[in-house]
Amino acid sequence: MENFIQQLINGLVIGHAYALIAIGWTILLGVARLVNFGHGELYMLGAFTTWWAISAYDIPYGLAILISMVIGGLIGFLMQLIMLRLTFRKDLIAIMIVTLGFGKVISGVASLLFGANGEILQTPLSSVDLYWNDLWFTYQDIAIVITALLMYGLTWLIIQYTRIGRMARMVAEDPPLAALYGINARLAYFLIFAFEGVAVTLAAAMVAPRSPILTSMGFDETIITFIVVIIGGIGNVLGNYIAALLLGIFIAFFSTYISAAFATAAAFVVLIVLLIAQPNRLQA
Amino acid sequence: MKIMKPLMTALLAIALFFAPQLMGGSNVSYSLLVIIGIFAILAYSLDLVVSDLGEVSLGHTVFFGTGAYTTAVASSQFGLGALETLMLALAASTLVAAFVGLITLKLREFIFSLVTYSLAVISITLADNWMFVGGTDGISGIPPLKFSILGLDYLARTDQQLWPVVYLGLLATLYLVHTFRRSRLGSEAMTVQLNTGLAIMSGINPMLVRMKVLVLSAPLAGLAGWLYAYQRAYISSDVFGAYFLLIMLTAVIMIGRRQLLCPLIGVALIITQEKMFSLGAYWDNIILGTIIILVLCFFPGGLSRLFTRRVAHT
Repeated sequence: MENFIQQLINGLVIGHAYALIAIGWTILLGVARLVNFGHGELYMLGAFTTWWAISAYDIPYGLAILISMVIGGLIGFLMQLIMLRLTFRKDLIAIMIVTLGFGKVISGVASLLFGANGEILQTPLSSVDLYWNDLWFTYQDIAIVITALLMYGLTWLIIQYTRIGRMARMVAEDPPLAALYGINARLAYFLIFAFEGVAVTLAAAMVAPRSPILTSMGFDETIITFIVVIIGGIGNVLGNYIAALLLGIFIAFFSTYISAAFATAAAFVVLIVLLIAQPNRLQA
Repeated sequence: MKIMKPLMTALLAIALFFAPQLMGGSNVSYSLLVIIGIFAILAYSLDLVVSDLGEVSLGHTVFFGTGAYTTAVASSQFGLGALETLMLALAASTLVAAFVGLITLKLREFIFSLVTYSLAVISITLADNWMFVGGTDGISGIPPLKFSILGLDYLARTDQQLWPVVYLGLLATLYLVHTFRRSRLGSEAMTVQLNTGLAIMSGINPMLVRMKVLVLSAPLAGLAGWLYAYQRAYISSDVFGAYFLLIMLTAVIMIGRRQLLCPLIGVALIITQEKMFSLGAYWDNIILGTIIILVLCFFPGGLSRLFTRRVAHT
């Protein structure tokens, strides 16, 4: 029973981590109908810039997170700048391959800068163990849950109730028509892609301390994100949050009781079964 | 005039066969061309899906890996000859493609891509954890390619001896792609890609077309896997990985779309850079990624447009 509850807690933490990692894509896809296959590499970069700021310059964790987020936002902005023409043509296939290319460039550059060895991102929060009876977790885990809740709450509020949110939704619906209403579509796309960069690097700075980081770890995060976004429903912020939690719990239990090696593969099998059973889920 | 084109093609095909000798005939040039040949066959497999069907499969390494693993197991554990392993590799990759086709029948665009990629991830997990195919150790000790037809024995111990087989495979691949593009299925695929609604009106079943093209593309990847297993004499779950995917994808989009020789030229450029002028794996990644970004963002028709446009202006 104890193990069961421990795994449930584990699953909830992993689930919130997935939710945090996925939010940039949720917005990107749901609001702007864009994709970013370099998502995982941005996550990797966020983890490494945080690690580098802390270990090489003794920068406090909070400030290191901010630095990573700025770098992530700038790279997101830059990516959008380079592929702006494709974005306006809504050429999703080309955007997909181009962002895949960005991912490869980012991972190549990161490997040159940070080397191919695994590193541990140690933060003031990750080294404090908390025990509650026999249950174990860290302050980092609590911080992940709180950050995820805050991000989802804020994002939902912004999309529903602010001018920026309305602007982004109008641009996604019909860029030329939105422009007629005086909305700067270009700016909206830049903001959304910068948000994607900021959100995923924040997620990395929070989640990456849970396990060793490698410059090659990128694409797995994209894949996890993809499962969350599809199961949760494209553009459905609340749905994505719930899907991430379910996925986290599934992975935690599958790893413990069946096989850790096959956990991700099993999640895919679930996804594929779901896609076959309910192909309509995909119409955004 | 009608006789000129086939004649020229035949002459070119014969001339290219002697390319390794023209490059000096050293082991290095044979190895380089053998690798280029194998990757080119693989790239054509993806080309059919990307250029003709208009979908980006990120799971073509599954067909490639299926071919390679089938060959490795059949030859090293069951002692089968190269012709038998070829049949098995082609059959296995085709079967897997039929399965992939079934589960992705209704998926489009990036969802199709991500599902096909997830199949590659599942394949890696399976290969790494299934002891029958060697687990993470992979399969070593694949015997050299050997077969006999009509009492004639052929044994390929070196890349020089493997080259005729690879070249034959490449020619067969080119012929298949060329024939496909002129076939009814080829034009149906283009119609579906350009205007699915119109395709349906004209009586085409888009799902059937997608299925057929995917299944047709798979044995090419299987053939490449078959050759790769013999060439390397060792394989591991890497064959399902991003390295092969990235090379074939770059080669397909780099030079030009739906022009027969473009993927071959792309592969030749990429592999030559990698084998002869490599700056290390990280730089190779950066170079490939940059090519992809630049081509799609600034030369969407491929680099060949640079030249054709210039010709048109002058």
